[in-house]
Amino acid sequence: MAKTSTSAGHGAHGDGAHSEHAAHAHISRGTYYRVFAALMVLMALTVGAWWIEGIVALPRLLGVAIAMAIAIAKTTLIVLYFMHVKVSERATQLYAAAAFIGFAIMVIITMGDYFARGWPPPPGPLP
Amino acid sequence: MATTTPTTPTATPAPAHEHGHEAHGRELLHHFESAQQQKETATLGMWIFLVTEIMLFGGIFMAYIVYRWAFPDVWAEAAHHLNTPLGAVNTVVLLVSSLTVALAVNAAEEGNRRRLLTMLGITLLLGATFLVIKGYEYSEKFAHCAGAANPVAWVTGGARLGESECLVPGRNFIFPEAHGAEGAEAGHGTADSYAQPQAGLGSPYQLFYFLYFVATGLHAVHMVIGLTIVSILTFIAWRGVITPTYYTPIEVGGLYWHLIDIIWVFLFPLFYLVH
Amino acid sequence: MATTALPQRGYLHDDTPNLGEWIRSWLFTVDHKRIAILYLLAINFFFLLGGLAATFVRIELITPQGDLMSSDVYNRMFTLHGVIMIFFFLIPAIPAVLGNFLMPLMLGARDLAFPRLNLLSWYLYMFGGVFALSAAVLGGVDTGWTFYTPFSSTYSNSNVILTITGAFIMGFSSIATAVNFIATTHKMRAPGLTWFRLPLFVWAMYATSLVIVLATPVVGIALLLVAIERIWGVGIFDPALGGDPVLFQHLFWFYSHPAVYIMILPAFGVISELISTFSRKRIFGYEFIAFSSMAIAILGFLVWGHHMFVSSQSVYSSLVFSFITMLIAIPSAIKVFNWTATLYKGSISYRTPMLYALGFMGLFVIGGLTGIFLGVVAIDIHVTDTYFVVAHFHYVMVGGTIMAYLGGIHFWWPKMTGRMYNEIWGGISALIIFVGFNMTFFPQFVLGYLGMPRRYHVYPEEFQILHVLSSAGATVLAVGFVIPIIYLMLSLKTGRIAGDNPWEATGLEWRTSSPPPTHNFEAIPVVTTEAYAYPPEAAARDAAEWRPGSPL
Ligand code: HEM
Ligand SMILES: [Cu+2]
Repeated sequence: MAKTSTSAGHGAHGDGAHSEHAAHAHISRGTYYRVFAALMVLMALTVGAWWIEGIVALPRLLGVAIAMAIAIAKTTLIVLYFMHVKVSERATQLYAAAAFIGFAIMVIITMGDYFARGWPPPPGPLP
Repeated sequence: MATTTPTTPTATPAPAHEHGHEAHGRELLHHFESAQQQKETATLGMWIFLVTEIMLFGGIFMAYIVYRWAFPDVWAEAAHHLNTPLGAVNTVVLLVSSLTVALAVNAAEEGNRRRLLTMLGITLLLGATFLVIKGYEYSEKFAHCAGAANPVAWVTGGARLGESECLVPGRNFIFPEAHGAEGAEAGHGTADSYAQPQAGLGSPYQLFYFLYFVATGLHAVHMVIGLTIVSILTFIAWRGVITPTYYTPIEVGGLYWHLIDIIWVFLFPLFYLVH
Repeated sequence: MATTALPQRGYLHDDTPNLGEWIRSWLFTVDHKRIAILYLLAINFFFLLGGLAATFVRIELITPQGDLMSSDVYNRMFTLHGVIMIFFFLIPAIPAVLGNFLMPLMLGARDLAFPRLNLLSWYLYMFGGVFALSAAVLGGVDTGWTFYTPFSSTYSNSNVILTITGAFIMGFSSIATAVNFIATTHKMRAPGLTWFRLPLFVWAMYATSLVIVLATPVVGIALLLVAIERIWGVGIFDPALGGDPVLFQHLFWFYSHPAVYIMILPAFGVISELISTFSRKRIFGYEFIAFSSMAIAILGFLVWGHHMFVSSQSVYSSLVFSFITMLIAIPSAIKVFNWTATLYKGSISYRTPMLYALGFMGLFVIGGLTGIFLGVVAIDIHVTDTYFVVAHFHYVMVGGTIMAYLGGIHFWWPKMTGRMYNEIWGGISALIIFVGFNMTFFPQFVLGYLGMPRRYHVYPEEFQILHVLSSAGATVLAVGFVIPIIYLMLSLKTGRIAGDNPWEATGLEWRTSSPPPTHNFEAIPVVTTEAYAYPPEAAARDAAEWRPGSPL
C-alpha cells in the first residue's frame, strides 16, 4: 500500500516517472569487481566442498545443503548487483522475488506428496 | 484504502504529448512520456519474462528433485561419469562473462563506447567458449556410444572404448557396471532395490542422463539465444545507437545473460558435484 | 476531462491505396486495438471449430450405441474439442480480445508497453493454432486435453507431438500478453490513476497475468518433456524406465488449475464492469473485489491436487488440497456477494450485456458450488471422471467465461466499431443461450451422479433420455451462438452510430471517441475520481424518470 500512496501523492504517470530515488542509483565498477571476487571465492568453495566430500564421508544431505547454499549465495549476488535489483524499483524487486517464491511453492507441495506417498513403491507383487 | 489515500488531484496538467519527435530523442517510442519511464518499463518487462524462464527451468528442477530424492545412490554413481573439471571451467567462464556484461552496462552508462564494445566482444568470446566446451562434453558421450574412446578417436576411427558404455538416453543406453556398492545404507530404503546396477534403458541411471541432457541442452539453447542478443547489441553499439541517455537494450539484454548464468550456477552443482 | 471526441480518425479508418497495403496495415500493425480485432477474428474462428467438434460429440451421444463414429474417432473428437476450446479459445479469449483492446484505454495510455511484443503474441497464437490444426487434419489426437502420461508419452498412436507443440507455442503467446499487461499496469497509468482507482477489469487482468506468468512455463516444460520422451523413446514419466507418471500430473495441474483462473478471472473483471454500469451504481466493496482477484491468483497455486484425488497421490496431500480448495471458494463468493449488493437498489436496465452478466451470476454460482462438492475427497472419488465433472466445468467455463466474453463483446462493441448492435436480437439470443446452456449441461449433473463416465461414446440404455436432452439443448445453444454472429456483422453496416458513451458509463475508455483514434486520446486524461463514480442519486433519478419503453 506504500506504493499506492506514493503514486497518488505525486499524481504521476504510472509508478515510474517519479522514482528518481531508484533510477539513478548506480553501482560502481569497484563493486562489480568485488562481487566478482566473491563469486570466485564461492566457486572455489563449492568445488572444494565437493572434493572434501570425496575424501571424508559427510552425510549426503549436508553435501547437498552446502552446494545449494553456495549456489543460492551466488545467485543472490548476481541478482542484487549484476542485475541491479538492489537499486531497482519496487515492482522489479517484487517480480524477481516472485519467481523464486513460485518455484518454492511448486517444490514444497509436490515433494510433500512424494514424502507422504512413499514413492517409488517397493518392487514385487502388491501386498 | 482508496478513500484514505491522500490524493492531490494533479496540480500540473499532464504534459501534452507532442507527436513529432523533436521533443525527445528518436529512441523514445511515441507511447511513452519520458525516457526514464521507457527504461523502467523495459526493465520490468524483462524481469517478468525472466520469471517465466525461471519457472520453465523450474519444471526440470522439480523433476530433478523428485528423482534425486528417490534414487540418491544412482545419482551419486551416475554423476561420476560427467567431466567435472570441464564443468567447473565452464562455470568460471560464465561467471566471468557475467562480469563483462555488468561492465558493459557500466560502460554504456558512462558513454564509453570503446569499453562497451570491448566488453561485449569478450562476452561473445566467453559465450562461444562455453558452447565449445559443452559441445566437447556432449561429443564425448556420443563418441562413447559409438564405441570410440574419445571424440577425436570417433572422427579418426582411433582408439576404441574398453567396456561398452552409452550415456545418451535412448534405446542403446547402457550404464557401465557399477563400481562397488557405495553407500548402500544411505538414502531412503525403498530405492535400494532400484539401485542395483542395471545397465540398460530400464534403469534409473537413464533418468539422470535424461535430465542432464534436457537441462543442459535447454540451457545451451538459451546460450545460443543469448549470444544472438549480444551480437545484436554489439552491432547497435558499434553503430553508435547506445548513449548514456539510451542504453536500455544493453541493460535488458544483460539481464537475460545473467539469468542464463544463474541457471548454470545451479546446474553445475546439481549435475557435476554429486556424491 | 481532458479528452473529447474531436473529429479524429478512428483506428479502423483505412487510408491505404491498395489491397497489399491494406493487408500490411493490418498484419503488421502494432496498434493494440487492431491486434485485438485480429485476435477477435482468430479466436472466434477457433471457437466455431471447437463448437463443430462438440457438435459431433453430441450427435454421437444421442444413441447408446457407437453408430456415428468408432471409439477411436470419438476420442479424437473430444480431444480436439477440449484442446481447441481450452488452449485456443477460453484462455486467450477475454485477455487477448477485450484485454488488448481495453487495457491501454482504461489506463489512459497510448498503447501497451511493448506493442511489437503484442503483435508477436498474435503471430505465436496463429502459429500454435496451425500446429494444433495440422495435428487434427493429419488424424487428430486421442489423449484428451490433459495429455496424461504414460498414455500420451508411450502408448498413443496419434499426433501428440504436433498438438503439444501447438499448445507450447500458444503458451508463449499468453506469456507475451501477460508481460505486456503487467508492465503496462505498473508503468503506464494516466496521471492520478492510482491503484485503487483502477477499473476492476484492470485488477482482474493484472491477477490473470500474474497467474499466466508463473504457471504457463511449467506446463510448457512438462509438455516438452513428453515430446522428448516420445521422440527419443526415453523416459522420465514412464514407469517402465523408472519414471513416475504422476509427476506429469503434478506439473500439468500446477499449470492447469491456475489456468481455470486464467479463464475465469478476466470474466470476473468484465462482470464487475457490467454490473456497475447497468445498475448505475458505484460498485459495492471495490477493495474486496480487487483483493479477491489477487487472493484467487495466489491461492490458485495451492490447490492443483484436487484434480489428482484418484491418481495415487498421497491421501494426506489430498486432505490438504481439499481444505485449501474450500478456502479458494471464499474469494469467489466474495465477488458474487458484492455484485449482488451492487444490484441492490440499483437502476437495473436489462440490456443485452446485463442479461449476460445476470446469467453469469446464476450459472457461475452453480458451477462454483459443484466445484466445492468435487473438492470434497469422499464425493469426488464417487463422481470423478463422470459427467458430473463435465457439467461442473462447463458451468464455470461456458456459463462463466463465455457468458462474460459475450457480455463484454456486446458492451464494448459500440466502442470497438462505433456502431450499436441490434438490441432486440441481442436480448433474444442471450435468452436462447441461457436456456440452451442449462438444457445441455444440467442433465449432465444428473448423468454423472448416476454414474455415466466421461469420455465414453457407448453407454447403457437408461442414460439415453438425459443424453438426448443434452444434445437437444446443445442445438439450442448452437443457435444462440450463431445469431450474434449474424447481427453483429450486420451492425457493422447498418447499426446505429453509437456515440462516445452510449451506456453513460464511467471509465476512461468511454471518454475517447468511438472507435478510438489510433493514439487513443487527444491528450492523456487526468484522473481525479474513483472508478465507477456514479453519482449516488443516479439510480434513484433513473427510477423516477423511467417510463415504459425507455431503453434504460
Ligand atoms: C469455486 C471454485 C472451484 C472449485 C472448488 C473447483 C473444484 C474442482 C474440482 C475438485 C475438480 C476435479 C474434479 C475431478 O476431476 O474429479 C474440478 C475440475 C475442473 N474444474 Fe473446477 N473448481 C472451481 C472452479 C472452476 C473454474 C472457475 C473453472 C474454469 C473456468 C473450473 C474448471 C474445471 C475444469 C476444466 C475441470 C476438469 C478438468 C479435467 O479433468 O478435464 N473450475 N474443479
Ligand atoms: Cu482445479
